Amino acid sequence: MSVDVIVCVKTNPDLQMIRIKDRQPVLEAIPYKVGDLEKNALEAAMQLRDAAGGGTVTALTVAEGDRKVKETIKEALAMGADEAAIVSDPALVGADPAAVAQALAAAVKKIGTYDLLLFGEGSTDNYTGQVGARVAELLGLPQIGYARKISVTTDGVQCERSMDDMIETLAAPLPAVVTVVSEINEPRIPSLMNIMKAGKKPLQEWTPADLGLDAAALAPQRQIVSNLAEEQDRKHILFEGTAAEQADAFVNALLNEGVLGR
Amino acid sequence: MEKVDCIVVGGGLAGLSAAYGLASAGLEVMVLERGDYAGAKNVTGGRLYVSPIRELYPELWAEAPFERAVAREWITMMGDGAHTTFEVAADRFAGETPQSYTVLRARLDQWLAEKAGEKGAMVVPKMKVDELLRREGRVIGIRAGDDEIGADVTVIAEGVLGLLASGAGLRAEPAERDHAVGFKEVIELPPATIEDRWHLNPGEGAAHLFMGAVTKGMLGGGFLYTNKESISLGLVVGMAALKQDPDQGKCFSLLDEFKEMPQIRPLVAGGTVAEYSAHAIAEGGIAQVPRLYGDGYVLAGDTAGLSLNALVTVRGMDFAIASGYHAAQAVLAAKKAGDCSAAGLAGYEQSLRQSFVLKDLETARHIPRIIENPRLFTHYPQAVSRLLESVFTIGPQPSRRLVKTLWRGVRKDFLNVATLKDAWQMRKL
Ligand SMILES: Cc1cc2nc3c(=O)[nH]c(=O)nc-3n(C[C@H](O)[C@H](O)[C@H](O)COP(=O)(O)OP(=O)(O)OC[C@H]3O[C@@H](n4cnc5c(N)ncnc54)[C@H](O)[C@@H]3O)c2cc1C
Repeated sequence: MSVDVIVCVKTNPDLQMIRIKDRQPVLEAIPYKVGDLEKNALEAAMQLRDAAGGGTVTALTVAEGDRKVKETIKEALAMGADEAAIVSDPALVGADPAAVAQALAAAVKKIGTYDLLLFGEGSTDNYTGQVGARVAELLGLPQIGYARKISVTTDGVQCERSMDDMIETLAAPLPAVVTVVSEINEPRIPSLMNIMKAGKKPLQEWTPADLGLDAAALAPQRQIVSNLAEEQDRKHILFEGTAAEQADAFVNALLNEGVLGR
Repeated sequence: MEKVDCIVVGGGLAGLSAAYGLASAGLEVMVLERGDYAGAKNVTGGRLYVSPIRELYPELWAEAPFERAVAREWITMMGDGAHTTFEVAADRFAGETPQSYTVLRARLDQWLAEKAGEKGAMVVPKMKVDELLRREGRVIGIRAGDDEIGADVTVIAEGVLGLLASGAGLRAEPAERDHAVGFKEVIELPPATIEDRWHLNPGEGAAHLFMGAVTKGMLGGGFLYTNKESISLGLVVGMAALKQDPDQGKCFSLLDEFKEMPQIRPLVAGGTVAEYSAHAIAEGGIAQVPRLYGDGYVLAGDTAGLSLNALVTVRGMDFAIASGYHAAQAVLAAKKAGDCSAAGLAGYEQSLRQSFVLKDLETARHIPRIIENPRLFTHYPQAVSRLLESVFTIGPQPSRRLVKTLWRGVRKDFLNVATLKDAWQMRKL
């Protein structure tokens, strides 16, 4: 048996490197990377492919602002995806989840053959958690969310869903859409050899027009008016005295604030 | 074993400069950088002298992400209770072709990595090289994790400690005496504030060095470079001096104390600390430059000991870029001749000898031992300030003639056995 998996991947600015200045994130010169949960999805896809003894893992992304998306997506290829495909267009910068889902669904149709579509449950930066479900709806496929375990047989896909107070086991026929959570696995770190090979793997680039979509119609319908970091008031309390006295006063202050001994 | 033409260990300025030159000529080059991105781990004071390297990659510098062209040089000598500041401005410093610029490495290195990438170099971040692979003394490639990759030539540009190179016996272990430690903060300030505080026209920059009480008598000094929207403020202290200091643990608070000094506080007032870093600096001069090449390898940048602290000028980045350039040229020649042995790579040292790199280091041969003299960091800044203080002092007693005041100060502080000995030493500067 072989399994063909398309993993839908978002690339986002490396959040660890973003600084806040004047309550705004400073995005200048911040490199992009493949999203965290998408790495779990890629890892899951590769494990399914390898367990089945064959198949293709395709990393598919809609570039929502990553100018160097061709470089960024190589991270997925270096991890072990076999192919990559990119949909990009200036109109897609800052696209809404609905538009991203449309572009993804059209690209999935273009790729044609697949058994499974994998997503992260939500993206690392905005975490709207909508895109997987929207694509399933657009393609008329069954969808399973919050997957923490996936297995594929000739009968279909079986997943364990991670719910708050229970674990649900669901099955669906193929093809299906599955969105994963981080518990599912520990994504591998690409080895140097695989990074070297990544540059030689097939990489498709499409515009919305190539997929029969009208780019202008995909442009964002909403505008971000403001995006501010929470303002924190510092108390500016200075404790004096010996180290022991300072420690006592400090603990007392924390107790009074109600942040200790809750 | 998978093989490429050339592996560059380290995506700092030396490694990226080499990669840019090699890739421009069409070689298959791979740069391995352990940081999250090129420049992530790299620390510098902040000023790149472009004049010496302008002709090497002339197409690059016009679009480089420099911060400010340095138009003013400030030097402050700090004694107890008095300090003296010189401000030197010359039209030529920042004229049509400025001689130096302030830089921030995170930006500069990433940009150079991008340029090398555009030429076809493969820059791989988050990849630590664990070992240089050797066969019969020849460097044949590297190991990173479980992967071994071969190369005709390995450019070793891993920075100041050179652990891979010394581990493989290609250079000596770094010695305490030849190194200093730098502590640095990047402090954000509005551009207009920066320009006010250092008397700058919009866009111009200043370099400000501090000697004396800042290091508590230890070999070293303070530096301050103005960036576009921030200043780089730091201290450099000799490693040996730092280790002898009974208050060793205190070295981390030196920078805080520096910022609190009454001469410094107004310069940093209102700023927000955006970044903190610490890094070693090679200060041994030409005496500690190792053999620069051998079978299948060349050493470049700090790994080759190519840096120079001459008290009023600190250089390393221009040497790093120039040595990367000459390394690339030598590797290209060796590849062309089909001989990547030491004999084939010997052109590297020759061209460094003919360039400013080894010439300037040779000229400065005696500086490292001269600046070990503690009086430079205690007595002289204090004496200069005390002398000028006396010139400007009017007390209750009748004043002396200016010449008398000066002569008294000079005789007391500058004409004794110790200082005359120093003067004799300094003739070698
Ligand atoms: C506080 C301070 C102030 C300074 N001020 C100035 C100044 O004002 N002007 C000036 O010209 N010079 C200055 N210098 C010196 C200058 O910064 C250095 O000479 C210059 O950075 C050397 O460049 P390099 O490429 O050789 O090394 P680096 O910039 O250190 O680059 C080495 C690279 O190799 C990588 N690396 C190391 N080991 C490995 C490994 N095993 N695998 C993969 N990658 C590895 C590192 O992550 C790093 O990116 C200063 C230095 C310091 C510390």
